[in-house]
Amino acid sequence: MQADMADIAKNKLRQFASSLMEDYFVYAPVMHDGKLTAMEAENCKDIDWSGQITYNPWKEMFTPHTERIFDINGDRLTQTKGTQPPVACLGMNILDLKALALYDEVFSNDIYYQNRRKKIVIVGFSSDWPNDYKKFKVFSHDFERDILHHVSFDIFIARSKGDKLKYYSGSAKGRELLEKYGITKFDHIEFEGAVPISGPDKRMVSLVDKVENSFDHSLWDTLDKICLACGKCTIACPTCFCFNFSDKIDPNNSRRDRTQGNCFYNDFSKVAGGHKELDTVKKKIYFWYVHKFVRIPKEYNLPGCVSCGRCVKACPVGIDIFKNIAKLSKIK
Amino acid sequence: MNNIYLPKIIKVISTNRESADTHLIRFKFASAADQREFNFLPGQFMQVGFAGWGECPISICSSPYESEKYFELAIRDVGQLTHKLNGLMIGDEVLARGPFGNGFDVDRFTNKNLLIIGGGCGFVPLRPLIVDFLSGRLISRKMQIFYGCLNEDTLLFKNQYKDWTKHAELDVILDKPSAKWQGEKGMITELIKKKEITPDTVVVMVGPPVMYKFAIKELEKKLIKPENIWLSLERKMYCGLGVCQHCAIGPYYVCKDGPVFSYSQLKSIPNVI
Repeated sequence: MQADMADIAKNKLRQFASSLMEDYFVYAPVMHDGKLTAMEAENCKDIDWSGQITYNPWKEMFTPHTERIFDINGDRLTQTKGTQPPVACLGMNILDLKALALYDEVFSNDIYYQNRRKKIVIVGFSSDWPNDYKKFKVFSHDFERDILHHVSFDIFIARSKGDKLKYYSGSAKGRELLEKYGITKFDHIEFEGAVPISGPDKRMVSLVDKVENSFDHSLWDTLDKICLACGKCTIACPTCFCFNFSDKIDPNNSRRDRTQGNCFYNDFSKVAGGHKELDTVKKKIYFWYVHKFVRIPKEYNLPGCVSCGRCVKACPVGIDIFKNIAKLSKIK
Repeated sequence: MNNIYLPKIIKVISTNRESADTHLIRFKFASAADQREFNFLPGQFMQVGFAGWGECPISICSSPYESEKYFELAIRDVGQLTHKLNGLMIGDEVLARGPFGNGFDVDRFTNKNLLIIGGGCGFVPLRPLIVDFLSGRLISRKMQIFYGCLNEDTLLFKNQYKDWTKHAELDVILDKPSAKWQGEKGMITELIKKKEITPDTVVVMVGPPVMYKFAIKELEKKLIKPENIWLSLERKMYCGLGVCQHCAIGPYYVCKDGPVFSYSQLKSIPNVI
């Protein structure tokens, strides 16, 4: 009986994905080279419905690694008119939706981000997630409804333990698509802002001062010795969004690009004349944690770490953000 | 939605070699409407550059009271882009965004003893305060100016010292002057040690990080309170709006929350000064 229910759920999900693929280029979790990867799905059968976090973050969809922002014609800059193909991000985990909610705040005045963002259909997905969710300990929400109201999506599909599927719309666009795809039973969730009315996450708040004043903690000296400053954690992180501008002069193709930055790289803080703010590994990794646990919470009242654990998987020397935060949270 | 990264066109009205490696350049916006709307505070900066060359942050060094007509930048030749800016001629066009940053909160300087400390090209953003003090628009009880530089060739605004000394006290100290130099010789800390500075003085200081470190030690010996020491930081930056992260220090962005900070804001942040 249970297997039947699982098959029914899978077929329904496949059918939904198949319909979506008729209207959009669908990016979804797909097993690729042995890793669950958020990438373009060519066949709806390839899509993974485990609800697990993909190895790569989804940010490439919203803030591409390299993005042309201006065309250079002689000594003038003109805004590059990009074309955004119809894209749907299908199967974004709740933690990735949290990261997206932060991006929406950070890039609220950014015309390039906004133009792209409003054309991307977001379909969130969770599988058995309330249990799963408790494993992630950086922030402390408990209930589904506390969360869904504070992340931005067009459609959300929740698969519960008995393989029942529950559909939610989060926008007019989402409602329209659900109806178009023959799904008539769904609840509408109104986005109530990324920060709940009850206030920002308590665990996040309790960490701000501790991390901010922790530079003399032995943790950073330990990390200074083992961290390779390779920057893989920043690439894996769904809330790392720093960027550089770089001008390229190329016959007939001169442009100003925005490229993703990396605070572990040597030129990140280097000014003319050679002075560098971040001139040790200790300073770099502390800077990265301050970004997540101090600056973002102070500025946006949102956690700068969504507990996805991607950085732990990506780190070649096994630096574990959960263990490190546990150590810092013990600071009196 | 406006494109926050799209610069406006500004034109060179005049350019003067101010020291061995710095030009003082007066600009106005190509569009009269842009010029009319332009307004800034002392201590704020512009992102200036060229298509194909990127942008760099440069402090505004003219008085805000002239902002309807023009603004001035003193640009030191320290890299490729600033080298090109130093070669500008009258009528040349430059791309600019801004003003950015918080600027000096001049209300805190009103009716106080004000001490201006500038080191090298850090002196640039301090000039509007001096100009406004001399014209009576910045009302402080007294203005002392300490200016430290490498040698005579790197001194900025030389032809204005006569005007300044009519109402302000000016002390210049050179680290490696020529044999002809008659004035003080050494680091700026020597002036802080030697001169009388009352404990209620408000200090506004711009210079390299190493100067801050030693100058603050001496100022603390003179019983100046951390909240009365104001300084401006220089960091790498791209966006100017607190997003790109390059200029972040502790909980702040230099481009948005600064570049002007009180020492009380900065003293608990590791490695900033």
